[in-house]
Amino acid sequence: MQRKSVGNILLLLLTLCVACMWAFPLYWAAVTSMKPEQEVISKTTFIPDVFNFSAYYFALFETNLATWYVNSLVTSITVTVVVILISVMCAYALSQIVFAGRRLLYGIILASFMVPSQALVVSQFVLMYRFGLINSWGGIILPQLIVPVVVIVYKQFFDSVPKELREAAKLDGCGDFQILFRLYLPLNWGITTALAIITYIMAWNAFLWPFLVTNSEEMMTVTVGITQVDDAFGVKYARDMAVAILAAMPVALAYLLFQKRVTQALMLSSGIKG
Amino acid sequence: MSGIKLTGVSKSFGAVKVIHGVDIEIGQGEFAVFVGPSGCGKSTLLRMIAGLEETTGGEIRIDAEDVTHKEPSKRGVAMVFQSYALYPHLSVFDNMAFSLSIARRPKAEIETKVKAAAEILRLTDYLESKPSQLSGGQRQRVAIGRAIVREPRVFLFDEPLSNLDAELRVKMRMEIARLHRQIGATMVYVTHDQVEAMTLADRIVVLKAGVVQQTGAPLELYRNPDNMFVAGFIGSPGMNFLKARVVPGSGDRLTIELHDAPGVPFEIPARAGLAAGQEIFIGVRPEHITLGEREGGVGLAVTAEFIEELGGTGYLHALTTTGEEMTIECRGEDRPQPKQTVRLTLAPEEMFAFAGSGERLR
Repeated sequence: MQRKSVGNILLLLLTLCVACMWAFPLYWAAVTSMKPEQEVISKTTFIPDVFNFSAYYFALFETNLATWYVNSLVTSITVTVVVILISVMCAYALSQIVFAGRRLLYGIILASFMVPSQALVVSQFVLMYRFGLINSWGGIILPQLIVPVVVIVYKQFFDSVPKELREAAKLDGCGDFQILFRLYLPLNWGITTALAIITYIMAWNAFLWPFLVTNSEEMMTVTVGITQVDDAFGVKYARDMAVAILAAMPVALAYLLFQKRVTQALMLSSGIKG
Repeated sequence: MSGIKLTGVSKSFGAVKVIHGVDIEIGQGEFAVFVGPSGCGKSTLLRMIAGLEETTGGEIRIDAEDVTHKEPSKRGVAMVFQSYALYPHLSVFDNMAFSLSIARRPKAEIETKVKAAAEILRLTDYLESKPSQLSGGQRQRVAIGRAIVREPRVFLFDEPLSNLDAELRVKMRMEIARLHRQIGATMVYVTHDQVEAMTLADRIVVLKAGVVQQTGAPLELYRNPDNMFVAGFIGSPGMNFLKARVVPGSGDRLTIELHDAPGVPFEIPARAGLAAGQEIFIGVRPEHITLGEREGGVGLAVTAEFIEELGGTGYLHALTTTGEEMTIECRGEDRPQPKQTVRLTLAPEEMFAFAGSGERLR
């Protein structure tokens, strides 16, 4: 019994150490952003001698951060809403409607899940270029709309809805759209929120594609925009950290507010049905 | 005609034919029960009437209107499922109001109809509850209420009591019978439980392997079955079947001899003219056998195996000397012991004769 409790204490200490190691870079970024630039380069202090918020003032008022925020918000929210809408309809069709080629289509979706998005950037870039969508919200959004894993997760959940519910709804006069939006979607509301949050986080954090498709500062998203702060103004650690923290803030907030749902979505997208 | 008429209705799943040219007429306001063993096609037939299964051949008419290929919601039918199929995210009120809200009926009308149905089914106190907060019986009542508010031409019940415990099943059976008397709608009910069929039905349709074996009033089927399958299926416990041989006789009644009791020919009410020596089956219900010797009956010796005791009555399971299984209803206090040899008396006028193919010999 005693041996067990000693083991528990050791395990707790080890967990605490790992948590500290994980949290330290975040802590370091936060304190660095609140130090004067001089202090950052001259000495190592774990708590700033003087709390200085000039880096934040600079990030907020002397860069295009507000524009980047707007771009990121517009593109992330659009991607989230459209991905959920497309996926939910696609998954419903694959799960509930019998049509020729259904299995083949699902096979293609499963296969496309295995293709890394990086492998597609060249063809997508050419496509967006031909559509005249370089440096536009459309150009940022369109290639991010296909997220096979969301379709696969939804299909799994729709498969497990008892078929009698759909039949009862049919007898009650519902068409497929009504069955989907009045029955299947509300029944799977939990997973919809989880998938929406994870899609939103992925869209907000997306870097490679927005970086390739935008070169005008006016159209950049936050993740791409913060690289410009460094380029234009030289290495200023406090400013860089302040910008990075402001850029990560919406995602961090989303995570803190919907922690349980995010964990559920991560488990689902990795194949563990929560 | 009003009611339901199925003409030559058939259903195939790929190459497998599961319903073979069914012809049934169910009158307006009639309570019809489809009964048969698992896999006989009774639920498939019900789902075809509902429009949830495509009809491969034949015609389905409801109130003279051809609905064979109509959408389920356009047929004027409502269905109560075995699993209740209540929408779990909606309250009892919203479940019952769902079809009317889909049809965009005015709110006042929806409220009036739902409250009236809730009143009939004694659900008024539960209108704000979610299905998960209700008992099995209450959920089943909500499912019935959902059907009532639609005011359908036909109510369809697909084994609605199978998920309930025995006591609740009896209660709900009475509720459904009361509901039928109250609203007088045409109802089609599917069950594999012949007690449900006997107690609820105006008309029973017995199915086996997608073929209608017999249609008729419950007592008609009990007293006058067309074949061994119906005779064995209707009545609880089922009818006993014993091998017999036709012997030369006189008059217009069939004279037979039981394999078990050779040399004692007796007459039963069936047609004569079968060849002497032909092997047939006779059927006798457990409740028409008496323990001990009785004058005017046919004597038979059996060995008692065990007794199912129900209190007032008991069912003796026994073997004849030729190894045929029999069930005998025992009334009163008289109960044989296992392994005991028991004399029985069968009443010839309560016996049915069946050909080797199972067809009734009348």
